[in-house]
Parts: sequence; structure tokens; C-alpha cells
Amino acid sequence: MKAVIRTPISSPAERRKRLWKDIVRDKYLYLLLFPGIAMICLFRYAPMYGVVIAFQDYNIFKGMGGSEWVGFDQFTRLFHSPDFYEILRNTLLISIYKLIASFTVPVILSLLINELRNMTFKRFTQTIIYMPHFVSWVIFSGIIIAFLNPVDGLFNFILKGVGFSPIDFLNSPTYFRSILVISDLYKEVGWGTIIYLAAISGVNPDLYEAARIDGANKFRQMWHVTLPAIRPVIIILVILSLANILEAGFNQVYLLYSPLVYDVGDIIDTYVYRVGILQANYSYATAAGVFKSIVAMVLIISANWITKKFGQDGLW
Amino acid sequence: MIGASKGERIFYVCNYLIFIVIMMIMIYPFWYIIMGSLSDPTLTMGGGFFLKPVGFSLSAYEAVLSNVNILSGLRVTVLSTLFGALIGTFFTATTAYAISKKRLRGVKFFSFFILLTMLFSGGLIPTYLLIKGLGWIDSYLALILPNAIGAWNIFVMLSFFRGIPEELEESARIDGANDLTIFFKIILPLSTAVLATIFLFIAVWYWNDFFSTVLYITQKDMWQLQLVLRDLISNTSAAISQAGVAISYQTEVNAFTVKMASIIVGSVPIMAVYPFLQKHFAKGAMIGSIKG
Repeated sequence: MKAVIRTPISSPAERRKRLWKDIVRDKYLYLLLFPGIAMICLFRYAPMYGVVIAFQDYNIFKGMGGSEWVGFDQFTRLFHSPDFYEILRNTLLISIYKLIASFTVPVILSLLINELRNMTFKRFTQTIIYMPHFVSWVIFSGIIIAFLNPVDGLFNFILKGVGFSPIDFLNSPTYFRSILVISDLYKEVGWGTIIYLAAISGVNPDLYEAARIDGANKFRQMWHVTLPAIRPVIIILVILSLANILEAGFNQVYLLYSPLVYDVGDIIDTYVYRVGILQANYSYATAAGVFKSIVAMVLIISANWITKKFGQDGLW
Repeated sequence: MIGASKGERIFYVCNYLIFIVIMMIMIYPFWYIIMGSLSDPTLTMGGGFFLKPVGFSLSAYEAVLSNVNILSGLRVTVLSTLFGALIGTFFTATTAYAISKKRLRGVKFFSFFILLTMLFSGGLIPTYLLIKGLGWIDSYLALILPNAIGAWNIFVMLSFFRGIPEELEESARIDGANDLTIFFKIILPLSTAVLATIFLFIAVWYWNDFFSTVLYITQKDMWQLQLVLRDLISNTSAAISQAGVAISYQTEVNAFTVKMASIIVGSVPIMAVYPFLQKHFAKGAMIGSIKG
């Protein structure tokens, strides 16, 4: 670090002069900065201002300026609606199930991948299991439908083959949440191992040697050496995912659900879309969106604070 | 495995077996779709468990590739992916470079200004009303611009730029180069790896996007490919679920191989760039998961 020695600044006029001099000196940097900031202003900040319609009875013809202000009425309506508890429950349940699945399975899988000694086999395995992450939910939902639909789906073909009657899995409230959790796990499990594998590769091999000399078998080595070594990573990822608990996976649910499974599958995001865009209840849907954004913000700020308490780099 | 005990040897063998099973589970769905798409439409009525095509026919691909909606969807998606990823990568780089300079007046404010968008978002409805207000309904702008740059990629690129030694720029400055010259002639050429990574990630996002069309596009000839595919893949099952009964047998028989072929057509481009993605993504995923 170079020490910058600045002469004490005497007058405000001189300070302004220096500021102006710095701005002129860095004019090209401001030029580079401008388009990005402009896009963020337009596409991120303008909608933030747009949330004021949650406090209005927004009418598309009167616009934001002309619509009537109603204070917290939309929120009162929302919190008194039975829909609200249903979508909140569905969102939380789906995302907690996904969280549990996405923390246990990738950890176990990366422990096992780490034990593959044949490098070609290991790389091939990784290539295959990372791939579904990049396949779009449209394509993936197509595959799910191809497997589960009652007419020509593979699972029902097998069910019929062994003498059962076909089941309309995707339209069944019994199976819908499990389908969401399992298909999400299938798509993201490989991707989830990347970070753990990186952490595992940083473990000092001497520790395994020492454990072996003390008579630890493979499972004890994993339990006493590898897991403690990657524990900080696991903790941070859990905290950060808790911050995203209201993100239950809009694309997936949107592409797979139907009115028959709204009871168990409708989440905040799909509700906002249906009520807001399709039924044009702009203000009410925005209120639901604002509820979600505020909870998310509080959770992210807390998560960042907790991560720092653990002595790790936070988001900021 | 020199010195491996008997227990360890059993463990290694079981481990390989576990992964062989996992791979079969991971590969089979895609295999099933490929075999289904190549099958004879008249022999696949009612589905089946395919290890190889039942009969052989390319008629499904002929049907998919001559579908006007697929062709227009392909055009829309290729264009929006290309422009979206180019615009996104370029302006992500310029923004990140500017805020990587600590001497810049107001840099703390600008960083916080960008960071804040990760903490709070206006959400779906205000964004929709904004695009509508801009008059971008049924405009390609709505498919390209709103998602081109995001805080996330800016910070990934920022952390990369911070790692470039200051001395490189200093020597260029002594030779009389200004910040623009330094950015284009020194920084960008040094950053091809991170630029490629960000470009590919943005491109995959655009390629897979369908919801922008759902929100902003009403004319079918402007639909993105994914939504066209969605239409082809799921219309039969949606028809079934809404009517509560199976629709006419003949349509269903013909639809099966076409659906499979649509899935393949939609995923082939991603599979084609996948090797390049894989080369770069580990790093992106690392930063990605740690930071959020």
C-alpha cells in the first residue's frame, strides 16, 4: 500500500476544487460506470419506487399519480385472506423440504466422489451429474411430464405392466410436493457438490494418514476428518439458504402445477403472478410481493450478520 | 490401492457400484427421451420402457423442425441470447471496472447502490408495469434489456479486476494511456476467461428464459423458443388435466414422439456449449455459492 499524504485541507472552496479536479481526472471511469448505473436505476430502482402501488388502489388508466391512496388496506386484506396462509405454508414447506434435501445429499455425494480413485471415472461422474443444472426448467418439466403423465408416461407404463391402475401424479395433491422436491434435487444435486468438493480438496492429506495410523476406517475418517474440515462451508451455505427461504422455485412450480394442486403447490410467487398479472389485481399482488421482499431483506441482513459472527466473509 | 485393508477394498468397490447406479439414474431420462424421439410414432402409443428406438422414424424431427413457431422461436431466442449476453457482459465489465478503482470519488456510494438491489427488489408487478409503461409490450427490448446486468455478476467481475496488479496500469499510464485505453487495451484482454464465464452464464439464462415472453409478449411469432417448446411438450397433458379425461387417442399417439423431439431440440444447444461451460463454471459456482 502506498501511503497517500494529503495536505490538511483548509477551506471548503479548496475541498470543492480538489473534488472537481478528481472528477475531471477520472472522467473516463465515470463514462464507463454510467451505462451500468443507468440500467440499474431503470430496471431495479424504478420498480422499487413502483411498490408504492401496494399502498394505493391502483388503476391502470389513472396511473401511479392518479390512483387513490388506501394506506395499509391491501396488506390488511392480504393478511385476512385464507389464501395468504395457504401460500405462506406451501412456500415454507416446499422450501424447507428442498433445503433439507439439498444439504444432506450433496454433502454425502461429495464425500463419496472424493473417494473415487480413478480420475477418468471421477471426471466423467462429475460431468454427468453437473449437466441437469444447465437444462432449462421447460425442458426438465417436459421430461418430468414424459415420465409421470397418466397416458403414456414411463412410470404409469410400469404401473400398468404390474397390474396397477395408472396414477395422475402431477395432478395429485398427495404427490405434488414430493415431485417438486425430488425433481429439484435431481437437477441441482451435482451442482451442489462443487463447493464441497473444493473445500474437501483443501484438507491436509496428513490428517487422513494420522487417522489411519490411529486405526480409523473410511467412515471414521470421513466423520472425524473430512466433515469437520468442511463444516464452516456447510454452515455458511445453510445460513445463506435460510435467507432465501421464501424462494420456493417459481419456474419449477409454474411449469408443473395445475388448479388441481393449488392447495399444496401454490407459492407466493405463483400467487403474485396469477392474482397480479392474470387477474390484474395490481395493488393487492404488489402487497404480497412487498411482504416477501421485506422478509427476504430482513433474513439476508441477519444471515450476513450471523455469517460474520462465525468469522467468515459475509456478503458485504 | 497398496496397503488397502479388506474393509477399504470393499468400500471402494461399493463406492464405484453406487456411482454406476447414480449415473444410470442420471442418464436414463435423457436416453429415454432420445430413444422415444427416434421411435416410430405408431409403435409408441401408450409409452414404453425404451432401451433402443421402437422401430425407427425421423418424422418427429421433421414435424418439429418444420414447425413455424419453432423456427421463429429459434430466431427470437438466438437474437435475444446473443444481444443479451453481449450487452450484459460488456456493461457488467465496464461497471465493475469503474467501481474497482478505489480512488474514484463516490465509489462507495455506487457500490452500495448496486449492492442494495441484491437486498430488496421491487418484485414482479412493478417491473411488469414499468415495462408496460415504457411501451415495450411486444418489443424485443423487453426480452433483452431488463435482465442484461445484475449486481451478482458485477461483483464476481469486480473481485476478478481487483486481482489484476496495479503496476500493469501504472506503466501504461506513464506511457500516456488514459482510463479508456487501459480498460480496452489492457484490462479486457487480460480478462478473457472471466468474460467468457460471465458471457456463458448470461447466455444460458437467456436461452432458458421463457417467462419474459409470458409477461411481455402477446404475438406468437415473437415467442422465445422455450415457450414454444413448452406449448408443444405440455399441451396434451394440460388438455388432459383440464378436461379430466384423455383427449382423442390419435392426437396423443402422434404427440408422443413430437414431444420427445421437442425436448431434444431444446436441449441440444446447451449440451453443445456444455464442455465450454464446464471448463469455467467451477470458479463461477464457487464464488456464486459463497456469496449467495
